[in-house]
Amino acid sequence: MYTSTGFISFVLRRFTGVALVIYLFIHMWVIGSAIQGPEVFDARLGMVQSTFFKFAEIALLAAVVYHTVDGIRIMIVHWFGVTQYRKSLFYAAIAVSALLVIAGGIPLLLFALESM
Amino acid sequence: MLDWLKGKQETPETAVVRIQRFNPDVDEKPYLEEFEVAVTEDKTLLNVLHDIKTMTDGSLSYRRSCRHAICGSCSMNINGMNKLVCHQRLKDNLDWKGRVTIRPLPYLPIIKDLVVDRSSFWEQYERVKPWLVPSDNLPEKEFRMTPEEVEALRNAETCIMCGACYSACPVVSMNKKYIGPHALLKSFQRVMDPRDTIPGERLADVGTDEGVYRCHTIFNCIDACPKGLDPAGAIETLRKLAQKREAFAAARAERQKA
Repeated sequence: MYTSTGFISFVLRRFTGVALVIYLFIHMWVIGSAIQGPEVFDARLGMVQSTFFKFAEIALLAAVVYHTVDGIRIMIVHWFGVTQYRKSLFYAAIAVSALLVIAGGIPLLLFALESM
Repeated sequence: MLDWLKGKQETPETAVVRIQRFNPDVDEKPYLEEFEVAVTEDKTLLNVLHDIKTMTDGSLSYRRSCRHAICGSCSMNINGMNKLVCHQRLKDNLDWKGRVTIRPLPYLPIIKDLVVDRSSFWEQYERVKPWLVPSDNLPEKEFRMTPEEVEALRNAETCIMCGACYSACPVVSMNKKYIGPHALLKSFQRVMDPRDTIPGERLADVGTDEGVYRCHTIFNCIDACPKGLDPAGAIETLRKLAQKREAFAAARAERQKA
């Protein structure tokens, strides 16, 4: 195992990417049930409105935000060739992601706590 | 107190060197063996390996040649980072417990102890035709180069083929068909060379999902390179040129006529 900031960002990017693909299928499974009638749709929607899924939405937000910000970081390197700033850009991506997740996560957390 | 503020630490008298051992004829899997060695101001990790082999355990296997960080033979994994052991002092690589861990280059098959099989490294190198393909009609005057072209070549021509970047790349570990940063850096050098006549062919060869588009911009190659080169930057340039390879090749041909 060769650990470095680049490797950590790669693992996080892969992990969040795969998690988002899995989420997308679950999302389509729930939303797609609308064409099967209101009973089926309500039943499936009810399954993902538990407290667990409300907390999981915070993780979903974190995955979306990190994957997006890290993608922007990679595009900056592609377009401007600034490989010398690779570590600074990684730390910046982590900091920006953390800020956005905290800002968006607090309302989601309060919403989840209300349902307990 | 002042030394602590400056980050200066007392050099310990002895250090524990942990070396990964593996003999395929005897061992089922690799294991770490500890050796206690004396620490001196100028002792390199290669000196340490040499001392252990000559005075403690003659069965220890490792590659080395020039001892001046130019042959590229002695690249190994030191405390998790790929480095040339001839270029690293023992005292600079000790952790807070006074230990240093030496392993073979990761992601490559181990032949014995610290010696790895670099066959795939050389196969990928050969694949990119690392030699120059000059024109049959050599000009009477010299080839002119811009300062930017000289700078681009300088990024590549000091590569010593040590394999540190190749074995630091997680993509190599996952996909043995990937050309690898060392070979792509060499391809970049030839593509940027105004004397080379086949830049279009080279860009077609590397502009595939086994070449520049397989790179995940992890940057381990830059972190690992003992010569401070930038293979990831070279791969970025090749990506851009691969998208306009026919125009680039036509411009090169036109320039060589002039």
